[in-house]
Parts: sequence; structure tokens; C-alpha cells
Amino acid sequence: MAETRLQESNKERKKVGISNTLMLFIVLVIMIAFFGITSQIKFGQQFFFSILNIIPMLSNISYIGIIACILTMLLITGEMDFSIGGNIGLTSCLAALLLSKGINGVLVVLICLAVGILMGVFNGFIVTRLGVNSIIATIGTMSIWRGIGYTLSNGESMLAFNPVIDYLGRGTIFKYIPFPIILFIIVIILTYIIMNRSKIGRRIYAIGVNPMASYLSGTNVKGIKFLLFIFCGAAASLGGLILTSLSAVGMPQHGQGLELTVVSAVILGGTALSGGKGQILGTLAGVLILSILYNGLTMLNIMYFYIQIIRGIVLILVVATYEIRQSRALRRV
Amino acid sequence: MTENNIVLKMEKITKQFPGVLALDSVSIDLKKGEVLGILGENGAGKSTLIKILAGNYIKDSGEIFIDGEKFEINNPGEAMASGIRVIYQELNTLNNLTVAENIFIGEQLVKTGLKIVDWKSMVKKSKIILESLNVDLNPKAVMEDLSVSEKQVVEIAKALSKEAKILVMDEPTAALSEDDTKSLFRIICTLKEKGVSIIYISHRLKEIFEITDRVTVLRDGKKVKTLVTAETNTNELVSLMVGRDIKEMYPKREVPITETVMEVKGLIAEGVNNISFNLKRGEILGVFGLLGSGRTSLVKALFGANPIKSGEIFIKGKKVSIKSPRRARDSKIGLVPLDRKMEGLALALGVKENITLANINDLGRGFLINKKTEALKAEKWADSLNIRTPSINTEVNSLSGGNQQKVVLARWLESGSEIIILNEPTRGIDVGAKIEIYKLMQDLCEKGAAIIMISSELPEILSIADRIIVMSKGRFTDQYTKNEATEEKLLSAACL
Repeated sequence: MAETRLQESNKERKKVGISNTLMLFIVLVIMIAFFGITSQIKFGQQFFFSILNIIPMLSNISYIGIIACILTMLLITGEMDFSIGGNIGLTSCLAALLLSKGINGVLVVLICLAVGILMGVFNGFIVTRLGVNSIIATIGTMSIWRGIGYTLSNGESMLAFNPVIDYLGRGTIFKYIPFPIILFIIVIILTYIIMNRSKIGRRIYAIGVNPMASYLSGTNVKGIKFLLFIFCGAAASLGGLILTSLSAVGMPQHGQGLELTVVSAVILGGTALSGGKGQILGTLAGVLILSILYNGLTMLNIMYFYIQIIRGIVLILVVATYEIRQSRALRRV
Repeated sequence: MTENNIVLKMEKITKQFPGVLALDSVSIDLKKGEVLGILGENGAGKSTLIKILAGNYIKDSGEIFIDGEKFEINNPGEAMASGIRVIYQELNTLNNLTVAENIFIGEQLVKTGLKIVDWKSMVKKSKIILESLNVDLNPKAVMEDLSVSEKQVVEIAKALSKEAKILVMDEPTAALSEDDTKSLFRIICTLKEKGVSIIYISHRLKEIFEITDRVTVLRDGKKVKTLVTAETNTNELVSLMVGRDIKEMYPKREVPITETVMEVKGLIAEGVNNISFNLKRGEILGVFGLLGSGRTSLVKALFGANPIKSGEIFIKGKKVSIKSPRRARDSKIGLVPLDRKMEGLALALGVKENITLANINDLGRGFLINKKTEALKAEKWADSLNIRTPSINTEVNSLSGGNQQKVVLARWLESGSEIIILNEPTRGIDVGAKIEIYKLMQDLCEKGAAIIMISSELPEILSIADRIIVMSKGRFTDQYTKNEATEEKLLSAACL
């Protein structure tokens, strides 16, 4: 019976889905253990687990992670946002420019987030109202945002000092915990609840699985996609602000190529480009793996060139593993 | 018994899937130039048997003989090489290519020496094949300009582009109107005369009687019986197939028809030209039309999926503006769409999620879904609609067609729809499930719902609908009450 076969393979597929995320966390643990041990051997003391290493690493992870979590939701609907890198460049320059005019820090943050939302509105409009494919649309806006960033800053870096901005990236809570990590954790919890417990999360998955059936069931498909583009715009702007704070400069090159890092992390975490499939925890694992890999290899004094190669290999290996496991599960008839 | 006459013999074929014996020692034989019908409910093992013959599945045990010689089929290529061709229910045509390209897809003719594609001889040979089928089709036509039935002809031509001994057709008429079915049957007769043996799988009993010489009935993975078609009748086949005695294929009971719930005046939309009708509580309004008559366009306009250019819709006397499926849902209209898999269900989600899809807002207060509430709602409908599924968390993908259709119906019941539009509600589902769906529709009417049923199956619409409207070219051409309507009247009105 065909039905039974499908049923069995579906069970398999589900099992694979659960253990894919689990597999990532196992890889993560092994990686962390590996870097812990090698750093002990190499330096004669524990450097990898030291506060000196962990804290900056986690701060760096957090702005990528915030964007990745939000982007995961958009990807699950089957859409894409490549403009996040450009958004970061624009936001960074805008923040520095506003600060240089002596505008209040809180206001600068609010203005930047508002502009981020506007950028999201623009993407959402092009994709859902004009019907342009989101990959094309956001490659276009990526270039536009970056260009505006260059225009705002005249192509130069600008110092960005301000108590509020400083705190965003470099402030700590309880002395040790960097503020961006708190933001990241909040975003993880929120997006996790949205995707696993909420009504809109259900709609997001359903849209990704079958947009037509969702639409014909009364779901506002375009509206939800529009909203997620706005979320992505705001998240990228927040990321841009954190990055500006971490580096203390606003420059148009900020976030260059970051869209690919973020998308890699999301895909590594098991989200399907075609939509309908993905987990926030998977994305978290993806972000951690890519960042810790970079951090650990750098610590081991491996040249950046090689790190690039290794990251590429890891991404392909993991995604290939997903595919192989899935097709095996399907073939097991 | 003349063994020479037998082209294909499948003996004691057994196939086990995890947990289920899909085929239990099934034997069939096929004579030269014969049409053998295979009949069975979904899950009876028809598809598995065909897939083993086509080389998509490997049998666990049993033997296959072709022309008396034992034959092992391990992959689709070997099946092709031994002259077995399968035309699946879902057409596999490439719509951007021409007819000739489709016919020779995979094995394009090449010029000797240069090895470049020989377009001329491909077109020429396509023409010969198409002519041998007695159809008038231009080999240079692009597939997307063809009708469903013409695409099917191309699939047949493709199957015949290399010598075919055995042609398997899996529910070939599922998307065809009566006229197209007739021309398909003409083609089958032509093939028979040429000595091609045909295995014909269908849910439609009428077709089995019209076209097959013998019929093998499967049930629950076992062969029940093989009969000579001329010596059997509908009741016998149905009872063999479902294993219980069903006297009425189309149960119809009297349901009181009361006040008007929906009134449509002068509706104009894409593919719909000036349509007016009204619909009463307890009524099943049938809409009959051939492919391309605008029946699906009407559905889309009524449900807000296509914009309405002019005209008015009143629900319970109140004028409503249905600009989107969301508005339609809020106006208590539900839709069971034509294509379950593409338009009806989120296949990779569970039964539960699909039942509550139109009504996510009621799954809890505020922002979150209350999983308990949801499970209760889903269980309730799974029980009352008798949806057969291992659990409400099972992916709908793994359910049979009839149960999938019930899931879509459950969705609209859950959202409290009072007007339910069903577009070909029993397409591609087995007899048992069909009867269940008919009963469900009438249960709903008894509870005060009103139903619009679009159907191209004449016996269905003639026996289930209380009133029938016929559409052609986007207009209503005629209207009949249940007692007035006949096959002839509907068909002639559909061609106006």
C-alpha cells in the first residue's frame, strides 16, 4: 500500500528532523571540547574557555544570531532577504552621522530602527505587492542600502561614540554578561515561542508548506510575508547598531558579505530554502557552529584563508548529510 | 488454455512494507490485445502492483512472465525494454516543449554521423504515431496550449514512440470530461486492434464496463476475483471491491429545503460572465460543465480568490463584498478545492494542523495556540467525519484520498461554514469514500448548511444534486430540477 509506505517514510522523515538538530548540537559539543583541549595543549592553559575569549566571541555571535533567528522565520515562508548586509552598512553610517550632529543616543537608536523598519517595508512592498522574486528584489535593495550608506558617510568611516550606543554592544549586565547577548537570548526565546507555540508561527509554517492552501484557507499570506520582511529590516538595523557599537565606528563597509554568513548559519541549522521547514534551535546551533569554528581556528593561529575554506566545507558537509539522510529515509521501503 | 495467447503473467506477487502486507500473493494474467481492468479501493494494492510491473518497486516474492518467459524487473529501464509502458494519473508532460519533443523526450532521434538532434524526423514520426491513434494534433504545437485530454494523448503517443507490448493506464480519465473520455476509448480500441495489451485502472465503474474485457478486483492487498466484464454487473463489482453489500452507490435522502442563504446577481469575473443564482438552506446545488466551461472560475470568484468585476452577492439577505478567501471565510463560506494536494492541504503538516488551518484564531486566547484546545477540536472532527488516520498528528500526506478530502471538509466545519462549495469533491477517491462524502454532504444539509457542488461526473450530479445549473463558456446555459435533469439534457446544455 502506497499510503503505508508514505506513512512510514514520514515517520522516518520526522525522526530525521528531530535528530538533525540534535546532531548539530552534538557536533557543537564535540567542536567545543576539541577547541578546549587543543587550546589547553597549545597554550598550556585554558584560553578557549577564558572570559577573555568567550565574552567577545559571544558578543560577536549575538548580532549575527539575532538576524539569523528572524531570517529563519522569513525563510520558512519560502522568501529570502539578502539586503541585511546592506541594511547594516546603511544603519551604521546613519547612526554615526546622527551622533556627529549631536543627536541624543536614544533618539538615534529609535531613528535607526525606524529606518530599518522602512527598509523592510520597501522589501515587503516590492516582493508582495509588485510580485518580484525576493532573492532578486533583496539583491537589488542590498546594493541600494549599501550605496546610500556610502553616500551618507561620503565613503569614509566615522567615529561613533555615545553612552547609549556604547552600551548596546559593549555594555554588560551583572558585570560580565554583555548586553547584546541578553538581546540575543530574548530574540531566541521570542522567536522560539512564535514558531513553536503561536498562531502566527503556525501560519508561517503553513505558508511555507503550501502557500495556495493557506491562502484558500483565509490566511493573509502576503500580509504575513510583509510583516516578516519588516521584522528582518528591524533585526538587521539592530544588528547594525550593535556592530557599530562593537567597533565604535560607523562605516559603509560594515556587514559586507554578512548576508551570506547569516544565510549559511540558517541553512546549516536545517531550514529549507524552499520553505516550510526549519527550527529556531537549529538556527541557534548553526550560528554557534559557524562562529565557534571561526573563533577556535583563529585561536589555533590558522590563517584566515584556510578558515574560509573550512567553513565552506562544513556548510556543504552538513547540508549534504541532511540530503543523504533524507533520501535514505525515503528509500528505506 | 492457450498459453501462447498470454502476454503477461504475474504470479503470486507479494510485497511487504513496514507494518503492512501491501500485496499478498496476487496473480494476474493479461492476454494479447485485451483490456484488463483493475479495480479496487485506495490502498487495495493497485498502485503497488503497477509499480512492481513498472520496475519502481521490487517484489518480495512471486514471478513475472512475459510471453511465457520468466522475467526479473529490477528498474524502470528493464520494464521499458520489455515493452511495458505506464501512463500515470498525474501527467508528466513538459509544458514548455512541443508535442514532438515530448513524445521523444529521453530518446531524441539523432542524425547519423553528426549526432545532432534530427527535428525533421522527430516531427515526421510524431505525426505518424498521432495519426495511428486517429488524432489530429500538430507535433509542433507547444504543450501548454493543449487541453488536458490532448496532453494525455501526447503521453500515450510517448508511450508508443517505442514498441509497446503492454500499456498500463492509471486512472487516465480522472481529469477528462465525458467527450474526452470517449475519444480516449477510441484510441484504446485502435491500440487493441494493433495487438497492444492494456491494463486499465479506474475508479469509474461505468468505464470499466465500457472498455474492459475482463476485470480483476483487488481488496486489502489480495486478489478477490477476476471476472469477464460482460458477465458481471455494477452491484457485484462494488460488493466485491468494498467487501460489503452496497445497494446504493449514490445515497440520497430527502432534506427539507428552506430559506435562501445566498443570492448572486449578475456576477462578472475572469472566466465568468453574468451569472445569477440563489442557494437555499438544505439544498445541494449542482453546477455541471465540461473542462473550460468556467466552473472553476466561478468557484474562485465566489470564494474571493479571483476579483469580482461586477455583480452582487447577498448572504442571508445582507450584501457582502468578498474580496479575498479571508472575507469568504468570515462570511461563512467554505471551499473544498479542485486539487486537494495543491490547493487544499498543507501535505507536510499533520491532520490536526490541516483541520484547524482556516481557524487558527480560535485555537486559544491571544497570541498563543492552546494545544489542548486544538487537539480536542481535531479529535472531534476526526471522529465525527470518521477520518481514518493513525493519529491526528499524522502527516496528511500519508492519508488516502478520501480521508484527505474529509480533512479539508472538516476544516470548514470547524470554521462554522454555512455555505460549502465543493469542486469535484469525489475526484480520484474510491467508491467507499465517495459514498461517505455524499452522506456527509447530506448530513450537513440536514444541519442547515447549503452546498454548491461542481461536478463533471454525470451520475453523481444527477443523483446527488437537488438542482443543477449547467455552465458553458462562463455563462449559465440552463437549469434543471432533480426530476427534470437527464444526461442528454445536461450534455447538450454544456455544449451550448
